[in-house]
Amino acid sequence: MTNDVLIMRGVTREYAVGGPFAKKKTLKALRGIDLTVSRGQTLGLVGESGCGKSTLAKILLGVEEPTAGTVLVDGRPLNSYDRLERAKLIQPVFQDPYSSLNPRMTVEAIISAPLAVRGVGTRASRRKRVEELAAEVGLPRHLVDAYPSQLSGGQRQRVAIARALIGEPKILICDEPTSALDVSVQSQILNLLHRLKQELNLTMILISHNLAVVHHLADEVAVMYLGQIVERGPSEEIFERPHHPYTDALLKAVLIPRPGSRLPDLGLQAEFPSPLNPPSGCAFHPRCPYAQADCSRIAPATRGEQRSYRCHYPLNLVETSLTSAAS
Amino acid sequence: MRGEPILEVKGLQVEIPVEGAVLRPVRGVDLSVSRGETVAVVGESGCGKSLTALAIMGLLPRAARYTCERITLKGEALTNASPRRWRQLRGDRIAMIFQDPMTALDPCYRIGDQMREILQQHRRISSQAARERSLELLRKVGIPSPEERLSQFPHQLSGGLRQRVMIAMALLCEPELIIADEPTTALDVTIQAQILRLLREIQRDTGIGLILITHDLGVVAGMADRIVVMYGGEVVEVGACDDILSRPLHPYTEGLMRSIPVPGQTKRGDLLGFIPGIVPRQVGERTRCGFIDRCPYAVESCATGPVPLSAVGNGREVRCAIPAEKRDPQAWNRLAEAS
Amino acid sequence: MTVAANSAAPTIDRSMSPGRVALRRALRHGSFWVGGFILLAITIAAILAPVLTHHDPTAQDLARRFLPPIWADKGSWEHILGTDNLGRDYLARLLYGARISLIIGLFTVLISGVIGTALGVAAGYWGGWVDLIINFVVTIRLTLPVVLVALVVVALIGSSLSLMIVVIGLLLWDRFAIVVRSATQQVAQREFIIAARTIGSSTSRILLKEILPNITGPLIVVASIEFAHAILLEAALSFLGLGVQPPEVSWGLMVSEAKTQLLFRPWMVAIPGAALVALIFAINLIGDAIRDVTTPEGRA
Repeated sequence: MTNDVLIMRGVTREYAVGGPFAKKKTLKALRGIDLTVSRGQTLGLVGESGCGKSTLAKILLGVEEPTAGTVLVDGRPLNSYDRLERAKLIQPVFQDPYSSLNPRMTVEAIISAPLAVRGVGTRASRRKRVEELAAEVGLPRHLVDAYPSQLSGGQRQRVAIARALIGEPKILICDEPTSALDVSVQSQILNLLHRLKQELNLTMILISHNLAVVHHLADEVAVMYLGQIVERGPSEEIFERPHHPYTDALLKAVLIPRPGSRLPDLGLQAEFPSPLNPPSGCAFHPRCPYAQADCSRIAPATRGEQRSYRCHYPLNLVETSLTSAAS
Repeated sequence: MRGEPILEVKGLQVEIPVEGAVLRPVRGVDLSVSRGETVAVVGESGCGKSLTALAIMGLLPRAARYTCERITLKGEALTNASPRRWRQLRGDRIAMIFQDPMTALDPCYRIGDQMREILQQHRRISSQAARERSLELLRKVGIPSPEERLSQFPHQLSGGLRQRVMIAMALLCEPELIIADEPTTALDVTIQAQILRLLREIQRDTGIGLILITHDLGVVAGMADRIVVMYGGEVVEVGACDDILSRPLHPYTEGLMRSIPVPGQTKRGDLLGFIPGIVPRQVGERTRCGFIDRCPYAVESCATGPVPLSAVGNGREVRCAIPAEKRDPQAWNRLAEAS
Repeated sequence: MTVAANSAAPTIDRSMSPGRVALRRALRHGSFWVGGFILLAITIAAILAPVLTHHDPTAQDLARRFLPPIWADKGSWEHILGTDNLGRDYLARLLYGARISLIIGLFTVLISGVIGTALGVAAGYWGGWVDLIINFVVTIRLTLPVVLVALVVVALIGSSLSLMIVVIGLLLWDRFAIVVRSATQQVAQREFIIAARTIGSSTSRILLKEILPNITGPLIVVASIEFAHAILLEAALSFLGLGVQPPEVSWGLMVSEAKTQLLFRPWMVAIPGAALVALIFAINLIGDAIRDVTTPEGRA
């Protein structure tokens, strides 16, 4: 158990919505999340709008507090760490390289900020650290004195990664780190993350809606839908044999840039539900092509440990006996 | 009939004067679309694809100037068309679908009002008839309970529904050509597939031409008949979709295809291919190949002068001086190691 | 390897800091030069007043009352702008009056700027209750008629230059608060603020180092508007006898003392009036230029 860097149990986050004169409605962004991540592992969190992945990131970063449930990092509750201790634990890399860097600060100031805030070292020693990290993330040395406006999107993202890593955090949370970048730059950043992951034995949570990216980098994948984790397991297994119909749809929806590709027919009925009004029973049942009568009445519980899913009528269960013996 | 050309653009050039220099984000672009055909214009940010589309629609920002050898729409020459003529054409003969349905619809007006406005701008039509036509199209694009939607405001609809409304609005006057600028980039992946299928279906039914502007090669693979690849304001490769995807000729196209992870094909944990460097600023005239700083095959002769777009048979065109036989197959790997 | 590798090590253009970029663009702006020139001229004239004229602006000489300025007949170089009803040299009064206007403008902007910015940043950053309370305070302030408040204060305490500065400073912070609040809200939702929190920055550090430097654009524009506002307010109060008191000089006071002469010696009203117009005009031009320069901000 001490190998688990992060343990989340029953984490729920609800928001009260509506002004003083409207009827009180509750937005359930997260509904009972159970998640564990072991040291050195890369977990991919996949989901679309409204699934709660951004809220989960905010809770891990300490920007928001869960309404219920516990978050344990390195065995201690997250809110028992003070501001500076938490900074040493978890660091983010955000999606938008244009708003994640302070335009009034030089690259050196930005990258060294985590150290400066803690009063670590002297200006000179911090500068040296910054230069080391710049080399580590592939940022040309002369850009250390530049302002963000002089850098390209890919270069800015490297700065963001350097800033996140300079304090040697335990967990790196990457929230759509390449979505705002051009395709040819995305691969550069993905390669960088991959290399850093191996060299530094980073524990990483990679949040993305892009399944191809997640498959490439993550060891394990957790699929989120409307505030719940509907499936979890090792990357290869999830991609080859998804159990949950939503995962299946997500996989089919990945458009392959190869000749002869066809547009997939996902068979999804209805529209996205709103987190303000989650469907009864299984959250996915209005859209599920395989839904049965009881799917709208009874919410499925999570089955399985390492390889888990939340469905009454899962797909591809042929190998169940083998996988459950292995996990 | 299929194959009849709808749009022909030759030598499109867009210039934007900035402090002390003249930016040329679009340089000598040729583009043509036939009836029932989907042409994908592919490129990354800064390649000029969006500006090309805006120029064709006559929607360039005021600071930009454009020149063109020839623009013809179904035979009518538009090269020197007046702003009035453009206004008549827009929404009627050529329609555009934008990327972000959040901002492309006016938040202050109901959907029904916005649709009626489009119809009444281009046709003599009563409000009642406009309403009928709007409902017909909302149903066609698969929007449930269309009568309710007409009296709703854009913010009451989800992203996917808003984009369907945009498509419906584009079809109101039965245009000959639709230009879709990154129509699904802002949408979730499961919605994207639905919207693209819808566009394809509509095209099959009505035979309109579709120009699809995107950076996503996956979208291109499923939708396009022909691909036009743009880099640095120029067209660098043209050809049939499956042809280019199976055998990219321009080093940039090659690089793009190599840098996309494909589950099942790219091995997990392997390094992805990439194109080193960044897109250069488009100032002044070309004195050498525009891709030279990032190309793994570049040789001295690539720097002697601008490289023309040349036909290489089978409807393929490439802007590269180095033919496939002369390329070193290990060049990309060496480039990757050097960086 | 690629053909076009640079042989020299690349260096970074250090003049691209956002501050310097904005300054360069301002310098290209015509309004900036015109306004700046006028403001500079007035400031230098105010500072060098003792050099430019040997007259004492408060020295009365009843034998030489109402002397005409140089361009009328009987004007002389001794009193270039003539003298007023008490024989005081008009040019001297104009130059020393400039000091008052500039001092009032500067110090009131400092006071109201600090108050307004503090309130605006607090309301914009924390939102919620803090925002509600501060909005309430701003609303109260907006309901107060400034001139009446000044009248009450003067009636109770009397008036002087320092009192004027304090009173106006305490009254003119509302626009600062409103603009800074909105600017702060926009900056606060950008991701680098969240990043600052996750690296463990204290709230004060975030406010001072992350938020404040990024709202300087609108802040400077409001400062220029309030500068002009303060000067006009002082002129109006002095005109009403509630501001600067004789023997001190102020342009507003000069207009007030000359108002009976409006039909007979119009230059006595026109001269300080024109000076006020010139100063306000200059400030507005500079403010315009700064606003144009800082508006297309955001991502570079």
